[in-house]
Amino acid sequence: MNAQLPIAPAASAGAVTMTLLPAAARFNLRIDPGHLAAASGTFGLALPAVIGEGAQDGIRRALCLGPDEWVLTASEAKRDAIEGAFTALYADLPHSLVEISDREIAVRLEGPDVLTLISVGCPVDVEGFAVGSGARTIFDGVQVVLFRDGPEHFTLEVWRSFAPHVLDLLETARRELAAGL
Amino acid sequence: MTTHRIPSRGRIDHARPVRFSFDGTTIEGRAGDTVASALLANGMHLMGRSFKYHRPRGVVTAGSEEPNALIGTRRGPGRFEPNTRATVQEIYEGLTTESQNKWPSLKFDVGAVNDRMAMLFSAGFYYKTFMWPKSFWDRVYEPIIRASAGLGKSPSEVDPDTYASRYLHCDVLVIGAGAAGIAAALQAGRSGAKTVLVDEGSEPGGGLLSEPSLEIEDQPAWDWLAGALGELRSMKNVRLMSRSTAIGYYHQNMIGLCEKLTDHLDRLPDGAPRERMWRGRAGQVVLAQGALERPLVFDGNDRPGVMLAGAAQTYLNRYGVSVGHRAVVATSHDSAWYTAFDLADAGVTVAAILDTRNDVAPDLLEAAKSRGIETLTGYTVTGTKGRLRVYSVRVNKVGNGKVGPARSLACDVLLMCGGWTPSLHLFSHTKGSLHWDETAEVFLPGHKAEACHIAGAGRGLWGMAAALNDGATAGAEAARAAGFTSQPASYSLAQDRAGRGVTHKELPTDLDPGKAKAFIDFQNDVTAKDIRLAVREGMRSIEHVKRYTTNGMATDQGKMSNMNGLTIAADAIGKPAPKVGLTTFRPPYTPTTFGAFAGYHRGGQFEVTRKTPIDAWAEENGAVFEPVALWRRAWYFPKAGENMHAAVARECTATRASLGIFDASTLGKIEITGPDAVEFLNRMYTNPWTKLATSRCRYGLLLGEDGYIRDDGVIGRLTSDKFHVTTTTGGAARVLNMMEDYLQTEWPDLKVWLTSTTEQWATIAVNGPNARNLIAPFVEGQDLSDAAFPHMSVAECTVAGYPARLFRVSFTGELGFEINVPARHGRALWEKLWEAGQTHDICAYGTETMHVLRAEKGFIIVGQDTDGTVTPNDAGLGWAIGKAKPDFVGKRSLARPDLVAKGRKQLVGLLTDDPTVVLEEGSQIVADPNQLKPMKMLGHVTSSYWSATLGRSIAMAVVEGGFDRMGDTLHVPMPGRTLSAKVSGTVFYDPEGGRLKL
Repeated sequence: MNAQLPIAPAASAGAVTMTLLPAAARFNLRIDPGHLAAASGTFGLALPAVIGEGAQDGIRRALCLGPDEWVLTASEAKRDAIEGAFTALYADLPHSLVEISDREIAVRLEGPDVLTLISVGCPVDVEGFAVGSGARTIFDGVQVVLFRDGPEHFTLEVWRSFAPHVLDLLETARRELAAGL
Repeated sequence: MTTHRIPSRGRIDHARPVRFSFDGTTIEGRAGDTVASALLANGMHLMGRSFKYHRPRGVVTAGSEEPNALIGTRRGPGRFEPNTRATVQEIYEGLTTESQNKWPSLKFDVGAVNDRMAMLFSAGFYYKTFMWPKSFWDRVYEPIIRASAGLGKSPSEVDPDTYASRYLHCDVLVIGAGAAGIAAALQAGRSGAKTVLVDEGSEPGGGLLSEPSLEIEDQPAWDWLAGALGELRSMKNVRLMSRSTAIGYYHQNMIGLCEKLTDHLDRLPDGAPRERMWRGRAGQVVLAQGALERPLVFDGNDRPGVMLAGAAQTYLNRYGVSVGHRAVVATSHDSAWYTAFDLADAGVTVAAILDTRNDVAPDLLEAAKSRGIETLTGYTVTGTKGRLRVYSVRVNKVGNGKVGPARSLACDVLLMCGGWTPSLHLFSHTKGSLHWDETAEVFLPGHKAEACHIAGAGRGLWGMAAALNDGATAGAEAARAAGFTSQPASYSLAQDRAGRGVTHKELPTDLDPGKAKAFIDFQNDVTAKDIRLAVREGMRSIEHVKRYTTNGMATDQGKMSNMNGLTIAADAIGKPAPKVGLTTFRPPYTPTTFGAFAGYHRGGQFEVTRKTPIDAWAEENGAVFEPVALWRRAWYFPKAGENMHAAVARECTATRASLGIFDASTLGKIEITGPDAVEFLNRMYTNPWTKLATSRCRYGLLLGEDGYIRDDGVIGRLTSDKFHVTTTTGGAARVLNMMEDYLQTEWPDLKVWLTSTTEQWATIAVNGPNARNLIAPFVEGQDLSDAAFPHMSVAECTVAGYPARLFRVSFTGELGFEINVPARHGRALWEKLWEAGQTHDICAYGTETMHVLRAEKGFIIVGQDTDGTVTPNDAGLGWAIGKAKPDFVGKRSLARPDLVAKGRKQLVGLLTDDPTVVLEEGSQIVADPNQLKPMKMLGHVTSSYWSATLGRSIAMAVVEGGFDRMGDTLHVPMPGRTLSAKVSGTVFYDPEGGRLKL
């Protein structure tokens, strides 16, 4: 997907595996929270109302990033349908749905040491994240979105040009974990 | 050879010898030794030379506060560290160490001549001695002082080690794993709180490691310690960290912790970092830092063999080392009596215990008597003898304020104790206030500024029972404050050696105090008389005394010297100590490596380097790069044998002649959507937007509230409610922040939303007469004819099958298009265009050619031709202001008298009289080169290039009243010559814009 990324598609050394995720349809949704029900219906998934909370149904995922901001993710096949549905909604309920599929690089981090790995660059206490929640935060000064998929499983999304820096540091940290000190 | 080892004592492994070298000699220690304990086990006290007088110095302490025993340590190439404290450095097989500040050898040092000339080097001597002649300071005095000053040698090779960092979160962070800290951590851990216990030492235990004779809860102290540590280690919610120094206490309970990972290992594990900086955020902090022993101040108190009594007790009980064969103890505190008893019980001769106090507890006197130790109460110390090691101490009885006759006691170690100073360093970092305790004559923690609790000796309590029980109380308080339930445990102790003492200024003497070398700051060689001299010379504040004498300014930050310095300064000034004040402690608590602070930020990880999706193609095709904000951008593409000048000239010519291709992906992009999008743009940008038709673009100019240019870019209207805004590369984040700021704070009523799409799109600019011919075959869904898609148009279509936003814009003056495709397709599209462009002699160009081509057209670069003081009118961009608009950011400022005044600096062109001369950007412009200096400067050159198209140089400049100087000759004075140039307009090429109309 991006030849400049410093990792193999699925690196396996150390106690955390780091896997580049395939392309997905990804949108930034801004809408008056009063219209959440309509937006949920349009997306096909009940959007969470609390910042940091997520929702998912296997095909779609939503994470509330701000008082009127959500990041919506879905399989690529759903891209046009989602865009079309929101375009239809616009006339009645103006909002902003901007495609950011290519803005982000997504990586899955999984393994028993995943919390330690993330603590290398992220000042937020990710141990406190409930499974199915996340946050827009920073990693080594770079904005990232973290989502906790499972007790030992996170998805990290980062703007494309920052990905090599973030992934290189994660790789360094994985080697550090492997060294055991 | 281990002449001073006591096999029955200590926690070291007597069965495991470890060899290392000190100044080239192989030394045998034991596993668990520090360099200092191993040298002492071999009877060696002399470990260094002092900073100023090069006096022979021995080890004084057994901890991180050590001022004297600073050594260089080496582990192979690049792994050299100066000023390591021998008292902290653990030995390992093969460790290489060396003493410092000596030449040619530690035992015979030429620099020691300074000691004989000590009268020349009194306090403030730097300020007095090197005053004349003035010109000598820069060339002679300062270089010599710098060459001879300093401690140790700086490493000169690249550090091959790596350094790590992590964040740490916990409910309760306990700093210091002595009795109080362990008790606190047990409370917090048992309550279920996420607890971290950190200690700078190699082994947790603190003072307990030096007190094996205690009984805690009916167990020998070390058995209890092992049990307590075992319990802590077994708790999943507790993390126990050794070799981890809390270096700083920052806002809202953020603690910096530096963990040393490998400095004690004989073999370095693959990939292991040397140190890790933890950035800890704790709900509650328990400070259990303990107290530091205070030296007594008397003539010759720095001689090798003179050391702190508590240190001797640690060397005996923790390391199994007797610091000498015949000890004299001099003290003003009960604690040193117990040291004497431990030594005597281990078979060491204790010749005498001298106490400055007349009334010493009878049980102590009795205990000394039972061991056959002579006791001297109400005595003073007035001198020591011995060059590289003390061999006798001069003592006198003090009575009725008079110092009696002297008596000499033979000894090979003199163990001193002048009381104990609670460690306030981290508490002081929080800006918590200090409280002066009249009775104990110490500063104690007062008002707290952070969620912290102070326990044990750190708040002036003495004795292990007090420390344990206070630690338990503090731990329980911290756990409760963090939301857990905890009742403090109560500990019973037997054989506790609580005690008390007094503190002193310099001890009284029958000799000339003006000749006494009674040291306060051992590391910076500051004596008691230096402090008194500073006061005599007018220093009244302790901050001034400190800077004049350098007391407390060494790397130990005065851990041993501050209180003695303050006591003596207060005495000299005639005010109580709290009125004279205590100097400020600053992080880090102990010297910390640059590596630990830098962490991962070195080499490729030094700073983020953003690269575009097309960057790799540029690299493969020989591009030279330049940094632009965090991005690296292709600067120019030299062919074999070309320098930058030739490459840029070729790229410019090729683009104007036929076709150039340029990676513009770094341009900032913001999607602005909503029914009020057009109103929002009207308010943000100077230009009018209401009448901009769908599918058309306009140049937008963004000002600050002050009316000065902040950013610019082309804005395209995709639908009535949706705009694609571009910003400068460096301004992207700033502009989005500014827009969000206005939207959220000034106009929350507007229905409009902003999203950064900078990285969603890869942007390829194609320019030149053949630009349309190149892209037309790839474009579907848009008629590219000039009539259907005129200059300043935008369309959503496909290019090479990729969804695209196609702009017809030009930053070169040529027919131009900017193709935005989803970033993942950027390189593929580029390569398709590159291949197809071969028939048009396509030329890839970089940022330098982009700059030249735009300058030929007089287009400004914000931040190069503007500097935050340039208005649209100054830049000749008055046309971009929507004059009919009621308001926009900066509008009111544009009417300010100084912004409409005549004679402002205005952006003009400059054409040198000699067309081959390219002016230097930044050079100053004057009207008359023959005027007297300093000349009146009219402005400066902002952009200057060789224009291959025009066959001459061109430049832009901001010049006072520039618009009224058209055709005038101005001058640019340069070293060795003065250049002349004529003022012109800024559009040097195709002023009619005919080339756009293809």
